[in-house]
Amino acid sequence: MNWLRLISIASLLLLLVPIFVLLYYGLGPFRNAAGYSVEVFRSIALTLFSSALAVVVNFVLFTPLAYYLARGNDRVTESLVDIPISVPHPIIGVALLILDSPVTPTGRFLLALHINFYNTMLGLVTALVIMSAPIYVKSMQPYFESKDPSPEELAMGLGASKMRTLFSIVLPDSLDGLTSASLVSMSRALSEFGSISIIAFYVLQYPFYGVSPASVTIYEFFSGNMAGGLNAAVTASAAMILVAIPITLAGHFVRRRTSR
Amino acid sequence: MIEASVRLRLGEFQLNADLRGDGVICLAGKNGSGKTTLMRAMAGFLPFEGFVRVGGADVTSLPTEKRNLVLVTPSSCFPHLGVDSHLIWGAKLKGSRPPDGYLLKVKSELGIDFGGKVSSLSRGMRQRVSLATVLISSPRAILVDEAFLGLHERETFISAYGAMAKAAGVDLVFSSQDEADGALADHLFLMDSGMVTQTR
Repeated sequence: MNWLRLISIASLLLLLVPIFVLLYYGLGPFRNAAGYSVEVFRSIALTLFSSALAVVVNFVLFTPLAYYLARGNDRVTESLVDIPISVPHPIIGVALLILDSPVTPTGRFLLALHINFYNTMLGLVTALVIMSAPIYVKSMQPYFESKDPSPEELAMGLGASKMRTLFSIVLPDSLDGLTSASLVSMSRALSEFGSISIIAFYVLQYPFYGVSPASVTIYEFFSGNMAGGLNAAVTASAAMILVAIPITLAGHFVRRRTSR
Repeated sequence: MIEASVRLRLGEFQLNADLRGDGVICLAGKNGSGKTTLMRAMAGFLPFEGFVRVGGADVTSLPTEKRNLVLVTPSSCFPHLGVDSHLIWGAKLKGSRPPDGYLLKVKSELGIDFGGKVSSLSRGMRQRVSLATVLISSPRAILVDEAFLGLHERETFISAYGAMAKAAGVDLVFSSQDEADGALADHLFLMDSGMVTQTR
């Protein structure tokens, strides 16, 4: 009897029970038409779109940070990266609200530049970036660390700056790591609720005017603010899980291939 | 002329080495004698006390990318590039394009009669491409750490590479575990336990 395997599978099942419960009840006994209505699918589309945008921002802004942490020895910066995901997530929503509030100097400045986070796509994506970028960085950093630095050292010896080395030498040879980290951070963005329920309860911009992110819509069903109640919340949750699982599994699959 | 005086400590290992010479320099010593550490320090990848001068210019305080002193190891290559793009990568970075004649000469002398993507080449072919790339980029000096190891007709290759480096006015330092390789160089430095024990 392989006890380690047995205990591992049992503990994994414990983690997966909520998912199975939602899939079973959402697609079976509790199935409710409101849970797979056009509104729900627009919510899921908004979540997918904003999460994908967050991943693009993560790639552009945070790949250099992951590389810097991998090749430097800056333990302080490394520990600071974890802060956004180590605080209760609504705090980030509140922080963005304050940052962009007309009663604060920063808010007045940003609003003067027509930068508005509240119930906008910008606010939604900003919150998702803050919540998913640490996952992206923590996924890319060990990937970069595992790469042989010799090509980078050759490039720098030939006169390339560290930034040039990153973009011309390291990244073209890192597509597998970038894909994996992007998918993993997108999974994290898809699951976000705390911060976006405060800063972008819904989006007031075309083409998602009046649409809430999927996690907020599910909460709205659950709290009775949308017709359908608990049954619709469970059905919408099952629909969201069916969309999110392939992305999570794809990220995991690419990461496994990368680490071989 | 390349001159270096390097003192550094890495855990229990202490390096205390002085090197001075021009043309082709062989740095010989057993595994763990400090050859790689000395070269990495000279290239700007390790902090140390002392100085590095190339052609009379002190490069000690310059970052790697400004030293014009290139370190080549057996795995120094850009796998995603094609052979021809690889060969001119360093020169292009400096805003120059090597004359076609020179490019062909280097390729012919170093036995680069193949093309394709670098990732699809054998280890030996990759090493040839990397070494040629560095030479074509016209640096002040080249530090070859074990990158001659395992090459087909190695001695002929080292002689040809050294001759081309000298013709281009580039100093070449290469490491070897075999003291006999000193015969291929103008100067020989023997290293043991982090110190230069003998010079020629």
